[in-house]
Amino acid sequence: MTTPVLEVRNLVTHFRSVERGKTIKAVDGVSLHLNAGEIVGLIGESGCGKSTLSRSIVGLATPNSGQIVLDGTDLSTLRGSALRRTRSAIQYVFQDPYSSLNNRQTIGEALEEALVIAGLPAERRGARTTELLDHVGLPAAIAPRYGRELSGGQRQRVAIARALAMNPRVLIADEPVSALDLSVRAQVMNLFFDLSRNLGVACLLVAHDLALVRQAASRNYVMYLGKIVEEGASTQLYGDPRHPYSRALLASAPSPDPVAERARPRVPLTGELPSPTNPPSGCRFRTRCPVAQAACTATLPPPVEVATGHRAACLFEGA
Amino acid sequence: MNAVYDIRDLTVDLYTRSAAVRVVDGVSLSVAAGECLAIVGESGSGKTVMSFAPIGLMPEGVSVGLSGGAQLAGADLIGGDEAALARLRGREVAVIFQDPMTALNPARRIGSQIAEVCTLHLGLKGAAAEARALELMRLVGISDPEARLRQYPHELSGGLCQRVVIAMAIAAEPKLLIADEPTTALDVTVQAQILDLLRDLRARMGMAMILITHDIGVVANAADRVAVMYAGRLAEVGPVDQVLRAPTHPYTRALIDAIPRPEDPVGSPFRGLPGMPPQLAGPIGGCAFAPRCPRATPGCATLRPPMRAVAGTPGWQAACHHLTLAVIPKGAAA
Repeated sequence: MTTPVLEVRNLVTHFRSVERGKTIKAVDGVSLHLNAGEIVGLIGESGCGKSTLSRSIVGLATPNSGQIVLDGTDLSTLRGSALRRTRSAIQYVFQDPYSSLNNRQTIGEALEEALVIAGLPAERRGARTTELLDHVGLPAAIAPRYGRELSGGQRQRVAIARALAMNPRVLIADEPVSALDLSVRAQVMNLFFDLSRNLGVACLLVAHDLALVRQAASRNYVMYLGKIVEEGASTQLYGDPRHPYSRALLASAPSPDPVAERARPRVPLTGELPSPTNPPSGCRFRTRCPVAQAACTATLPPPVEVATGHRAACLFEGA
Repeated sequence: MNAVYDIRDLTVDLYTRSAAVRVVDGVSLSVAAGECLAIVGESGSGKTVMSFAPIGLMPEGVSVGLSGGAQLAGADLIGGDEAALARLRGREVAVIFQDPMTALNPARRIGSQIAEVCTLHLGLKGAAAEARALELMRLVGISDPEARLRQYPHELSGGLCQRVVIAMAIAAEPKLLIADEPTTALDVTVQAQILDLLRDLRARMGMAMILITHDIGVVANAADRVAVMYAGRLAEVGPVDQVLRAPTHPYTRALIDAIPRPEDPVGSPFRGLPGMPPQLAGPIGGCAFAPRCPRATPGCATLRPPMRAVAGTPGWQAACHHLTLAVIPKGAAA
């Protein structure tokens, strides 16, 4: 078995709530791994902790406990410049390419800034800028232009090129195409395929568009209220979801075909996402679960392997 | 068809300091009572401006040139005075915006915000306004409404806030509801609940609805008819079953093909459209979609295609010179 390039072990990130003495358990004991050249999906509703998890991995949020192991190095053992240097191998692509680029910088300047941070000598930066633009399918002639002159799809590709400037091993992409129009999403998504296949970059794709994640990712994690409830290959998870939450989530996405949409069985999720300051005891999904029973209140269900690489954390797995 | 809202040959020009931009270019549409018309298009296609310009809601800081006709329940909207339009807004036509959190005042309780709308549009005072607010909250399916009245928007989830916004919009029982991406900021599990609520209210109140969205799944779920816009013009309009399942315009086809399908193999490349959306700065002589269209012929670049009826289905129209070639097979425009 290959060693994963990134491994997250039992990560916990809590925030202090505005209510005195309460904590928001945004990420509560999450373990996952990414192999080189692999696109992995992370799906769940807003408030489930997927953004906090991604931000904890790159260091934009401080985890309370747990380990982030990059190429065998536990990042929590590092401090200062050693940490910064090592962690630069994990890069983040933000959702909105309109706010992640400086409008008063040219594309060339934005990339050069990243190359300065990467420590590349001045005489090699020009060639590297061209190379980076080439990786994301943009002409070198775009370098003297300003971000505001570019379309959303082009801007997102520049943002990805800037992340690549650090020669990352891992890209964390938080909703990378949700701010883009349908017709240009394909260009950016296909770019992620190129990067993972040609450069061997591992991508964690955080998104709420399930059809898009199914096609892009080879493996997936489903998150609910700070916990991973199911993981599996796309063919397993989307073909045969085993956790009741995954089933409800997949069933609630409307079909673009009106006839199929009218025939789609409704699996209504009752109620709202419970507060992460005071999650339900036992299984966190039990308050909205159609198959919940008394036993679900007592114990947190452990992940059960239902097929190779396919795990669901439900006492009535397959029920 | 008994149209509640009818726009004829609507053209909207925006004059900025340096340029004039034609954002809506000769669009005609109508919506009947109880009907939901979805308007689909990418950013910059003019779908928002087209829906809001006739009722006097325009971006600030630019001057607007409006031409054509727009009628709401028989009353002319264009050319009338602003005071008359202001009286219509909220009473005859109401609007739901995308983000419920910014549509509500964060510093005031839910109950007083809904009651204020009842005072403004229905002339209700004090206890009567509050009673109507409570009634509206029940109508939009908010559980435990007495307690919710006392809460602030930040104490409510996004889905509940959107229900509050809907309650305010329907307070005066408008004839037309314009919903601008009403579920885009919400999760899929909540989206279904809000779409069900809107459908239910529409049926109960006989209200017409314009649903602006970019999500074809939402269109398939909620709309009776759909209008597809490209570069400020109508590309295709018709019943959802026909337009989404057997589109005749190459742009509609390409848009639908760009949606990932369950039968697409995992790891297979995504389908998109070649090229980029048009810049509206200059006038477009021929068909706006011609530069990206797989079936474009030389004539397409010079001659603008008129809206023509698609044979066999009343109300189905498309603006394409190649319309006689009829239904485009799946995947042909990818």
